[in-house]
Parts: sequence; C-alpha cells; structure tokens
Amino acid sequence: MEFDYHSLVGFAKSWGLFYLIALAIGVLIYALWPSNRARFDRAKKSILDKDDRPGD
Amino acid sequence: MREFFHRRLERSAIGFVLAIIGVSAIGGFVEIAPLFTINETVEKAPDMRVYTPLELAGRNIYIREGCYACHSQMIRTLRDEVERYGPYSLAVESKYDHPMLWGSKRTGPDIARLGGKYSDAWHVAHLINPRDVVPQSVMPKYGWLMRNELKVDDLGLHLAAQRKVGVPYTDAMIANATADAFGQASPDGPYAGGVSERYGEATNVRAFDGEPGRLTEMDAVVAYLQVLGRLTDAAHSQSAAAGK
Amino acid sequence: MIATLTVEERQRAIAVSAFLALCGVIMAIAGRDDLLGTHGVIVLLFGLGGIGLVLSKYFEPEPPQERLSHYYDDPTKVGIVLSLGWAVVGMFFGVWVAALLAWPDLTFDAAWASFGRLRPVHTSGVIFGFGGNALIATSFHVLQRTSRARLPDQFSPWFVLLGYNLFCVLAASGYLMGLTQSKEYAEPEWYADIWLVVVWVVYFLIYIRTLQRRKEPHIYVANWYYMAFILVVAVLHIVNNLAVPVSFGHAKSYSLFSGVQDAMTQWWYGHNAVAFFLTAGFLGMLYYYLPKRAGRPIFSYRLSIISFWGITFMYMWAGSHHLHYTALPQWVQTLGMTFSVVLLVPSWASAGNALATLNGAWDKVRDDATLRFMMVAAVFYGLSTFEGSFMAIRAVNSLSHYTDWTVGHVHAGALGWVAMITFGSLYALVPWMWKVERMYSPKLIEVHFWLALAGTIIYVFAMWNSGIIQGLMWRTYNDSGTLAYSFIDSLVAMHPYYISRTIGGLLFLIGAIVAAYNVWMTIRMARSQAAGTAEADRPVLHGAGAALQPGE
Repeated sequence: MEFDYHSLVGFAKSWGLFYLIALAIGVLIYALWPSNRARFDRAKKSILDKDDRPGD
Repeated sequence: MREFFHRRLERSAIGFVLAIIGVSAIGGFVEIAPLFTINETVEKAPDMRVYTPLELAGRNIYIREGCYACHSQMIRTLRDEVERYGPYSLAVESKYDHPMLWGSKRTGPDIARLGGKYSDAWHVAHLINPRDVVPQSVMPKYGWLMRNELKVDDLGLHLAAQRKVGVPYTDAMIANATADAFGQASPDGPYAGGVSERYGEATNVRAFDGEPGRLTEMDAVVAYLQVLGRLTDAAHSQSAAAGK
Repeated sequence: MIATLTVEERQRAIAVSAFLALCGVIMAIAGRDDLLGTHGVIVLLFGLGGIGLVLSKYFEPEPPQERLSHYYDDPTKVGIVLSLGWAVVGMFFGVWVAALLAWPDLTFDAAWASFGRLRPVHTSGVIFGFGGNALIATSFHVLQRTSRARLPDQFSPWFVLLGYNLFCVLAASGYLMGLTQSKEYAEPEWYADIWLVVVWVVYFLIYIRTLQRRKEPHIYVANWYYMAFILVVAVLHIVNNLAVPVSFGHAKSYSLFSGVQDAMTQWWYGHNAVAFFLTAGFLGMLYYYLPKRAGRPIFSYRLSIISFWGITFMYMWAGSHHLHYTALPQWVQTLGMTFSVVLLVPSWASAGNALATLNGAWDKVRDDATLRFMMVAAVFYGLSTFEGSFMAIRAVNSLSHYTDWTVGHVHAGALGWVAMITFGSLYALVPWMWKVERMYSPKLIEVHFWLALAGTIIYVFAMWNSGIIQGLMWRTYNDSGTLAYSFIDSLVAMHPYYISRTIGGLLFLIGAIVAAYNVWMTIRMARSQAAGTAEADRPVLHGAGAALQPGE
C-alpha cells in the first residue's frame, strides 16, 4: 500500500471514528464496571483523611 | 507475595503512562501525518523563489520584534478579506517559511500582500514613527532599525541552516550571502549584479532605507516587507483564472 | 532548606550546579558574538548561585531519619512563593502591553519595551511562571498526599523547580533582547527548549517513582490529570520545537517545519498547551483542593474518569480550528471543528462535577472566599469551554478569528478559570504548608476575590465588545457593494475598549499583589509562631538533639 495523501486522509477519516467509538466504550465499561465501585468510593473519600503523614 | 504485589503496582503506573500517551498522541498523529504528503496535491508554483539574504535578515528582524503578534500573513477565503487584502493565501506561498508567520491576531491589518503596495520611503517613515503617516495608528515606533547596522557576516550560515531544513539555496547563494545582502541595498555598487543573477531579474535591488552607503536593519525589514506576497504569482494567476 | 538535604544530596546538588555553570561557560564562549553569550552568562550565574547556596550550609548536620515519616514540602513552599512572584511580574507586563494599545508611546523608544517584545514576557510570565510554578508546587503536594508516600528523594524536586525557573528566566530575558522562535507560547530558542526537556524528564521520574511507592491501591484522579499534563506537554514541546540552530554559537534557529505543516504543528501544540497545561493540570488542582476545602468527596468519581479520557483523547484533534478558512486542507478544519464541539461534553462533565460537589455546602461557599474562588473557577471553566466550542464552529470563527474576541475568550479561561483555581488552591494550601490555623487575613482574601472577579468581568466584556465590533466592521458593505470601513476605522473604534481592558487587567493585578502580600504575611506569622514555641518548648533539648544525630 502506498502512503500517498489521499489514502492517509481516508485512513484518518474512517479509522479515527472507529477509534473514538471503541475508546468511548472502553472507558464507559471501565468506569461503570460494578466491581470497580468499591475502589472508586474508597479513592474519593481517601483524600479527606486528616492524617498528614506518609503511610507505612 | 509482597514482592508480587509491589510489581503489579509498578506495572499499573507504567501502563497508565502508556495509556495516556497512546490515547492522546494517536489523535494528533492521524491528523498531522497526512499533511506531510500534501506537496503532491498542493498548487504548483514553478516561479516560486527563495528569500534573498537581505530579505531573510529582514524576516528575522520581523520575528525578533514580534510583529507577528499583531499582523497576520494569511488571507482567508472570505469575500471581504479578498476584497480588502487581495487574493487569498495559498499553501504554496509559505512553503519556504521556516517558521510560518500566518499569525493569529489582527491588531493591525493583514500584510500577506503588502509587497509593492507602498513606497520604500513610506515604509521607512512609517517604521520610524507610524503616527507621522497614519495619525490614529497604535503601532510602536521602530526608530532603532535605522540606527542599527545590519549584521551580515554570518548570513551564509543562516542560508546553510535554511537549506538543512529544506529550502533550496544553492552553494553559490550560500557562498555569496554577505555580498548579496550588500548588493541588494546598493544598486550602483559592485555586488548588485550578482543578486539579480542568483535570485532573478524581478528581485528588488534598491537603497531601501534611502541611504545607499549604509546597510541598516531598516534596509532588511523594508526589503522583506516589499517582497511579501511577491515570491510567486500563483495566487494572482489563480484568481485571474477564476475570474474568467 | 539546604540543611534538610543529606550530605550525599548536597554533593549531588553541587555537582549538578557545577555542570550547569560549565554549560554556561561554554555557551558564553561559543556565543560571544551573539546573544547566546548573554544567556551563557545567566546560566553560569545560576550555576554558581546554586553552588554558593549549597556550600553556605554544606557543613550543617545531616537531617534526622525521622524526616522520612513526614512529607517533603520544602519545594512546594518555595514553588508557591515563586508562583506568586511570577504572577505579579507577568500580570504587570500584561497591564503594560494592554496600555500600549491605548497609548502606544509608553515604550520610551527602547527596543526592549516595544509591544512585540513585551507581549511574550506577559504570556510566558503568567502561563509558565505563575501557572507552571503553581502546578509544580501543588503537584508535589497532591502527589504525596494521595499516594501516602514521601517524594523519592530531596534533590530532584529542587532540580525540577529551580531548573524550570531557569527556563522561565531564559525565556523572559530572551524576549526582551529579541530572542524568539515566533511560535506562540513556544517562543524560547533551542537551548532553552533542550534544558526544559531535561527538567521535564526528571519531573516525570519523580512522579512515576512516587506513584510506584504509593500505599494506596488506586491512583487518585487528580494525579491522572497531573500525569497527562506532564506527559502530553513533553510530547507537544519536543515535536513543535524541532529546529536547526544556525550554529552552536547562535541563539537563532530555523524550525524544521514550514508553511502549512508548521501552522498545523504549531496550533496542534498551541491548542493542546491550553488543553494539557492550562486545563488538565489545573483540573488536577480542582479535583484535590475543592473537595478538600469543602470537606466533601467529589460528587461522582466515575464522571471524573470518563471526562478525563474524553479530554485526553479529544483535545488532540481540536487544534485545526485555529486555521479555519486558511490554506489548511478543509477536511482537517472540519475534523478540528467537530472534535471541538464534542469536547464540550467532557468539559461540562468536569465543571458540573465540581459544582455538584459543592451542592449542600453553599453556606461554606458564601462564607469562605477561598472556596468561592474555586467555585467561580468551575463556573468560568464551564463558560469558556462553551465559548471555545462555539468559536470553533467555522461560521462563528469567520467573524471571531483575528479579533479581540479570541483574546477575550483566552482571558475568560486564563483569569476566570486558571488564575481563580490557582489562587483558591494556594489560599487553601498555604496554611497547611506553614502549619498555621489560617491565612494572615481572611478579609484580604475577600478583597482579592472581588478585585479578581470585577477585573475578569470588565476585561472579558471589553474584549467581547471590541472583538465583535471589529469582526462586523471588517465585513460590513455599504449600499454600493464596497467595504464600508477602512481598517483604521475599526482600530479607532477599539480605543475605549482598550482603555477599559487595561483597567480590568489592573484590578486583577492589584488582586495578585494583595495575594502575594497576604501569603508573605502568613509566612512571617508562621515564623514568629514557630520561634515562640521553639523557645518555650525546648531550650535545652535543641542542643542535645543535635549532639545525638551522628548516632542515629
């Protein structure tokens, strides 16, 4: 396959869109996966801890 | 077990780094990469010439003083812009511009087609005090351009560096860069002939700052301003063809 | 500060400073006929200053092992002070260049004081000096707290912070002398760019080494944004600054790219500097300091993850909206426009997430100017991202581009979002860092808040007006079908707006000075308190403690 201007543009136009959709699905699955809920809940509350020292 | 856990953590931090680079970089790459093959499709301009050493020095002063912050050099394909400034800018017209000076703000007008629009004397007066010529102007005064001698001894190095990034300067152009800079600003001097010989008959060879004896930064800047939009006729001939 | 370094770290600091000084000497010799030589002298002085600073405390006792059970905050403290110093300097230059457009003769006929040379001092001063130092300072703080791990060593954070400021000094002094690549927001020349790459690699290594030693299983989302900031800025910086120097004795270089490729690369860089320097980094600040100050966890952690990947992915495509109707191929323009519009989704998700976090704590927002700074920042973030998406639409852009509207849009983001979230975060952070109950004067925070808000609103409205008037005048036709106004007509119409934007900017500058004073007084207050307790608490133990140390 030759890498001329038109084939590269075609690639950018079509695969760019697929890439966007695939990435969006991946992120949504990761963010909404039920077993990740506990992790996220812990993370978001962890910063409010008053103790200002490194952990052991 | 502890060891294993630790390694897993390390991996997740590095995996995360790779994910960020991957997700962000591909977008830019897919969009920019095709542009590097654009020369196949861009307008042809066989008459396109490179900047003379004097014009290049002027361009560097234009950059040094930050002129691009207020003047664009990119006429968009809109009716009012074409009527105000001239034929819209083509990609080919800035193909030797390292870097491009398209600009992003017009506190002053676009100057992509400034060349030949005003006399040298007008430019000199305007640069020394813009308000002498245009009373309402807010442009700074550039009086030091007239006071500063132009530095020419290293122009050959500049041309050589330009060649490294892809501008087709010949060995003769590089070897004679300093002499050509003097020649272009002193039409009656011994070096004037070489300039037209190397850069074409259409090249402006004049005492741009009005003082043939001295080569000042003013000479360089005015020489540059007078060649803006004049390196090729492609834009004019294209709009003439469209007019028919 | 130096006394907290171990002897080995002090030696390393001297070695690195000496190497820097050597580089300065080489630059000064190689560039003796060029402005590069002047910068060589600055680098040399910086290196010698580093050596002198360390030597002055070289024979102090080693810090106790006990330090490892605390976070290492000294670089953060210095970063805060540097950030506020740059804020005052950068904004002062901003007011000056604004005034130059109304009164163009405020240059004393000096080359260094003309608009084109002062403008990058303003932009780099506020973006890199003020914003960058604030990002480095807060990132070290957030990184340690959210990882529950101390920074990996005590030398590399200083290298990053001070090395970065050397870059800022080279940048600003270079512009005044006329050294610039002319690429907006990437003006510094090749040697400063290379130096920044070195600094940035060390910065990244600090981040990754601390993350690897973290005690929390999950990397808190604020770090994601800081990481994206560090990584993507590195990629952008390296690609956009590829250039060939005239020689190794010349400061001047020529960009590897030209024409349309250069334009696309530059605005790919330019727009993503907005995205990953001025947005991602400061969202990192928002996601830590806002919940912390409000005492409530972020409204939706999931939403923050989704918007993170949305921003990381989509911004990279958006740069070409800076080049609508130009010689850039149209498909690239369309792609840029589409992604710019879709970008509104993750942007508003972030802004909404921040505001929803405050829902239920509005009484705190009312009473606490620090939290109000953060709230207003989130509102301006939402407004300016909406405006940005709107302006990326080709038809709108045909009017707004090249006008003051763009300048107004940038300042809605820079003053309303970036500066407000920074001031809010610093007001929260300073008392924690210097271990005092609160800032020296809560009243002055209140004063600063209203100065900043009034300044931003005056500025932005002035630029909206002038930009739209300008755009309309340029395209107005009279009855006979010719252009109705000359360019100079549109310039004359700008005069009142240029004056009011100067006033808006001046109010904002005064606010920054008030902030710097308030922080300075807080530090003094902390010192006198510390001196008081030290004398009362352990007049005898002090000597005994020092004697014990070698045995530890």
